[in-house]
Amino acid sequence: MAFNFNWSPLIADTSRARDMLTTALNKSPKPPIIVDDIIVNELNLGSVPPELEILEIGDLAEDRFRGIFRMSYSGDAFLTLKTRVQANPLNTYLSTRPSFASPQPLAASSSLTIPLQITLSDIRLSGFVVLVFSRQKGITLVFRNDPLESLKVSSTFDSIPFVRDYLQKEIEGQLRVLFMEDLPAIIHRLSLRLFVPEYQGSDETLSMENSTARVDPLSSSASDPVDPFQNSPFNSDSSSTETYASFSQKNLLRLATLTESQRTLSLFTPSMKETVFRAWAGSSERAENNGFGTPQLVGSTFSRAHSYTASTASAQTLSQSYDGVSIPSRPSLTSLSTMHSGLGSNYSRSRGHPGRKRKHRVVNLRRSGTSSADVSDTASVSTEASSNAASTSAPSWPLSDPAAVIVEKAEREGELQTPPQSPRKGVKFRSSEAENASEERGRDIQRQTPSTPKKNAAGTRDVDATPVATARGTSAPPLDERNFVSSARNALTSSSPSKSRPRLSEKQRPSWLTSRPPMSSTEFIQSSSGGILEQAWMMKMATEIARKVQEEKEQNGRNMWTRREAEACEGPPPAYTSS
Amino acid sequence: MRDFMDFVQNAFCEQSHWNPNNFYGTLTATAKALLDFDTPKGLRLSASSLSSRNFATSYSLSNAGIVDGSLSFLYSSLPLQAESRSSAINLQDVIEGYRHLQDLRKPDEPWWWEVWHGGKRVDRKAALLYGRLYLPRSTLEALYLRRISPTRQLRISYVSDSSLPQGGNVLALLQTDAGRYSTEYLYSTDSALFGVRGLYNFGAFPSSDSSSKPATLPYEVRSPHGRFSAGAELYYGALNASGGLSTGIRFSTLPAHTGFPYTMTLTLNPLMGNLSSTYAVKAGGDVALCSRFDFNVYSYESELQIGCEIWRLKRAPPAKILQGLRTGKDANEPDVRPGEDVTGVLKARVDQNWNVGVLWEGRIKELLFSIGAGFDLRKREQIFRAVGLEIQYSS
Repeated sequence: MAFNFNWSPLIADTSRARDMLTTALNKSPKPPIIVDDIIVNELNLGSVPPELEILEIGDLAEDRFRGIFRMSYSGDAFLTLKTRVQANPLNTYLSTRPSFASPQPLAASSSLTIPLQITLSDIRLSGFVVLVFSRQKGITLVFRNDPLESLKVSSTFDSIPFVRDYLQKEIEGQLRVLFMEDLPAIIHRLSLRLFVPEYQGSDETLSMENSTARVDPLSSSASDPVDPFQNSPFNSDSSSTETYASFSQKNLLRLATLTESQRTLSLFTPSMKETVFRAWAGSSERAENNGFGTPQLVGSTFSRAHSYTASTASAQTLSQSYDGVSIPSRPSLTSLSTMHSGLGSNYSRSRGHPGRKRKHRVVNLRRSGTSSADVSDTASVSTEASSNAASTSAPSWPLSDPAAVIVEKAEREGELQTPPQSPRKGVKFRSSEAENASEERGRDIQRQTPSTPKKNAAGTRDVDATPVATARGTSAPPLDERNFVSSARNALTSSSPSKSRPRLSEKQRPSWLTSRPPMSSTEFIQSSSGGILEQAWMMKMATEIARKVQEEKEQNGRNMWTRREAEACEGPPPAYTSS
Repeated sequence: MRDFMDFVQNAFCEQSHWNPNNFYGTLTATAKALLDFDTPKGLRLSASSLSSRNFATSYSLSNAGIVDGSLSFLYSSLPLQAESRSSAINLQDVIEGYRHLQDLRKPDEPWWWEVWHGGKRVDRKAALLYGRLYLPRSTLEALYLRRISPTRQLRISYVSDSSLPQGGNVLALLQTDAGRYSTEYLYSTDSALFGVRGLYNFGAFPSSDSSSKPATLPYEVRSPHGRFSAGAELYYGALNASGGLSTGIRFSTLPAHTGFPYTMTLTLNPLMGNLSSTYAVKAGGDVALCSRFDFNVYSYESELQIGCEIWRLKRAPPAKILQGLRTGKDANEPDVRPGEDVTGVLKARVDQNWNVGVLWEGRIKELLFSIGAGFDLRKREQIFRAVGLEIQYSS
């Protein structure tokens, strides 16, 4: 474990530290030889940070920390003080005595004040420090022993050895007192000002801007997501240290703009950085494999995305299908997911490139006469997609939803000897997801679908084929969207095992899908990249969700899902082989 | 306003023919009285009594802090003859104002003090014992004064306070007043401070030998109109190696001077480079003005203070005033008759930083009062720095 000190004396603003040090030095009664206030002229923290060595950590939590360190400092920090001193020792002596038994000289005790400037440098500290950090109570720093080893005092009286030695002795003593007693109080107050909002109200210069920043993060001016420890601890003027929000303010602002655009029908769609769209999450693996995506982005947010999307999916599905089930619903996430998916669609839509072929917004995926159309659309869309993917940093499959992810997980689970019912669950899940997605997205889906057929790789599985066939079989105009979605999902999922699991694809290649030309973009589907952990986690989530769904399904016998499944099971159920 | 016990001590000194004005420590007494008067802070009551001619008591109560009080007792081996009732007390003795120097007087002969009775000397040196106990603060002050000889006085003062290092401090002061010159030796146990002070008066001095100077001098030796004095002091603290030195000169008019009496002093501290000059004049019978200018040669800091003192009489017969203006003589001592209502003294001072001090002292019925306030005219919002009222009653 290492400590990284952001020790930059040029950037650190020490004005507040200087003020607090001045107040602390003048608070205690001064010796009578000091006539005026002690003012801190300059405080330079030097270029060498102190060295800390951990001796013991007593309490460690998210908002609490307690530890004992051994600190040693031998840097070039210096401090300059300015004051006025009394030069007449008789005056100093007599001012502290009662006048009854004092000699009461006539003029021998007249005062002479001399301005004095003292520079403390070559400070050597070494001691044991107890550091207690608490989010509510701030930082407390206490020295176990007297840390001051040596100190160099230079003043305007350096030419007088008597005064120089006297000053050295006196100031060393005062500094020891300061380290042991006053410095913890100063640091505590500074930390309270930084971390605890209530204490900022007492500071008249910061109260207004802090309160406005905290109240409405969306209304504040766009500020970068701030690392709260980025600023020097002495700079408490930054009001952004309070916003520990997990969402960047910029992105929240952009989301607000997007929600507004649904009402205002504005065509402006801001691009959101450092986000993961729900549409990407399902195909994030493919994106990673291809390298077109943002592997770093997707990989880093992989777990988050999947947790996000999985939970979203579960919340959506379960909440919609089963009323009695109480789920720790996170409506914000669901709304954001829909927003993201909508955004994804907008995103893909707004990515206009000059040399691109115009894509058809309406695709007829009916079995009879749509194969050619699909092909053409697929080709067009595939070129668009490839060009998109090549030119953009984000994968251009907006239509990726948790169902696809779950199915992928299910597929992998099939490899890992998951229960045989999972495919069925996956199927059901996908179609339910298709319904939900279609209801929420509306016409966007139709726009999205052109991109999906391109994923209709050569290899598919019966798992994917069955619901598609079912959907095709019951192809009613209202179900078109669902068909599109499900077919898209099929395409997505089917494309994944094309390379890595060729045997499956060969076995389960339905006829209608084989007519589709193999995509050039099947390289996306390599799933070798990505963390093992994320994959395992994904699979675990998939099994859990599938299991839950199966349980709920078994609870309610009569259901449209079961009906659908019955329809889906007209044909022989696909064998979910794991080997 | 002088404390009752100080009044009694002064009475003791007067009665034992001791002139406290002939010392270097009181060189600038006029300027101090006119410019450095203490304005009372808070409310202070004191009740005192010269219960017998040898014994005096005084109790005081003030609201500095929560409550602050003191008890004091005084014993004098010399029967005191002062009028101590506050209804009849002479305000001149209680209120310090312009100090008029009197002609130098030859000190008493030592054999004047001998009292024989039945062939034995029964006289005892006059001594004064005084103690004061501050009750909440637990501070004790003690004083022992002894007139060793007509020209010598020993004064031992002691303070006991827990806040002092060594718990207390003893100051021993041996004063010698030989008329033309005076010396003081002092020693303080706190930081082993040794001090020497001396004053020398120039000019004619009534010689001990009344027939020393023949009257056949070509010029008439008039009584001097003014006196020039010079003095110095030296201190050395053995324990903390501190010391101090200062010199001063003074010129003051004597009662023989026609015109307004005035006093000029100049003190110098060569180690610290401090120069202080004062000029006080008694203009008219009721008004005294004083100014002081301080200057530091090393730090170029300067200070200017101006003060005035006005005696208010309830009634002043016009004839008396005219007479006073004509002669300019009796203006020295405004005739304050007992029983007059609300006569008093108004003192005011102002310095270069616009710190104003006002004090009004007087007598109401049988009480002596003093009301004072300190202003700081630069700070508009916090003008009043200290307001106080002090009431004395003595019997």
